[in-house]
Amino acid sequence: MASTLQKYQDRKSRAEKFLLAGFILVALAFVALILIIFNVLPEDSMWLFPSLLVIGGIVILIGTVLFNRVQKAFKHGFLRDYLSDKIEDGEFIPKKGFKRKQGLQPDEVYACEFLPKADRFYSFDRLRGTIDGVRFDSSDIKLQHIEYRTVRRGGKTRRKREVITYFYGRMFEFDFNKNFEGSLQVLEPKMPPRTKGAMFGKNFGWGPKAKPQSSRGFDSVELESVEFNETFNTFATKEHTAFYVLTPHFMESLMKLEKQHPGKVYFSFIDNRLHMAIHNGRPTFSLKPFRKLDESYLETFKQDIDIIYDVVDELKLNRNIFKEE
Amino acid sequence: MNAFQIILIILAVVLVIVIIWFIATMNSLRRLKVKVQEAESGIDVALTKRFDTLSKMVETVKGYTKHEAETFEKVVKWRQNMPDELTVEQKEEFLEKMNSVQSEIDVAVENYPDLKAEKVYTNLQQSIADVEEHLQASRRMYNANVSRLNSRIVSFPTSLVAAKINMERQPFFEAEPSKRADVEMDFS
Repeated sequence: MASTLQKYQDRKSRAEKFLLAGFILVALAFVALILIIFNVLPEDSMWLFPSLLVIGGIVILIGTVLFNRVQKAFKHGFLRDYLSDKIEDGEFIPKKGFKRKQGLQPDEVYACEFLPKADRFYSFDRLRGTIDGVRFDSSDIKLQHIEYRTVRRGGKTRRKREVITYFYGRMFEFDFNKNFEGSLQVLEPKMPPRTKGAMFGKNFGWGPKAKPQSSRGFDSVELESVEFNETFNTFATKEHTAFYVLTPHFMESLMKLEKQHPGKVYFSFIDNRLHMAIHNGRPTFSLKPFRKLDESYLETFKQDIDIIYDVVDELKLNRNIFKEE
Repeated sequence: MNAFQIILIILAVVLVIVIIWFIATMNSLRRLKVKVQEAESGIDVALTKRFDTLSKMVETVKGYTKHEAETFEKVVKWRQNMPDELTVEQKEEFLEKMNSVQSEIDVAVENYPDLKAEKVYTNLQQSIADVEEHLQASRRMYNANVSRLNSRIVSFPTSLVAAKINMERQPFFEAEPSKRADVEMDFS
């Protein structure tokens, strides 16, 4: 395994060298500009700024292309086998090209009934399989709204378009071992922080109050645990269902999962399925530039799989004593 | 407008606010009371299911466990002599009696491995586990609602409204003594 990883690491390092060289050239371009402005360099050296900027840009572009190629080869070659080996019946379908819906489909994601419908829907890096007899399906999802606002500048009014990312993380679906009537949602009080900008967005505060996006007639339920009620808002179509599904042990397990991902976990129990969304703000199975690809790096992927094991284990989804065989 | 009129208007506004608050508090207390009653009826449903499942189990095992079947008959007679609407304490007692019959059956059946392995028996055991889960959920739901109602009834100024409409604290549905014994710890 180490030699295979080294092969990818060598290719990754090459791409990173291009990226680094590109960034240095761009930085030098700005240094040259400042030196010209402050007359340290003669004015006829002005050609340095655009030249270095253009060359730097091209080198960054080459580095990005090379990096994406390594990323693709790593996901399709190594990671697919690695993840499939870790999970029974495991199937990893990595992102390919720029198609928007390669993971869970919109109807599968919106079946959780707590995520508002997006103007732009992205899903990729699907991972599905069986853990301890429990079927699961998951993928990264990115949901974006497009908002328009009117801006006045220089006496002119114009319409400004803004892309707002309101969810970016991993969505899971599990078979649930209890038969119950109605639906139940256990949500953090607020939706995740929203990000402005399509690519290099900035967080600009928490999202609106998290609540069911459904016409099923959910009511707020208060359970007997004060700590649980402070951590989560619970909504159910039948109050009894909330108490039936959320046993004291189950509530503790949900709080434990929440502590691992504070403010970012949402659960919904609908039609005997458990939907879980974790807003981690990153692509789960992607390579990070300038980080050595070795066995310790694989640990981060393993931790992301461990979440699935934790859910099955902690929530005892593998115990089917309540379901008729 | 003179000072007297101004004072009158202020008093009228304060009075209206107090009346609105009184009605809103009264309604919220009554809504909570209804929730407690709904939760209590959930316990009734779960107890009835528990009783039916236990009857089926006794019927299934009575050839093997004569003494336990007789004990169950006593529980049936006890229930027949009680009013249709049981108080919370009587419901606790009813559940306790059913649990003790169940425990006796469980112990007795240990001596009959063939019976234990029978599909009908294992299905009944599964049903009992499921009914027990529903019963626990109903009990927790009832107690959570009672806790909310009681804490509002004892808090000032809601306590004034509660006293005015004769709303009293409701009893909790306690865990059966055998279950409570499980969590008792000996620090000696």
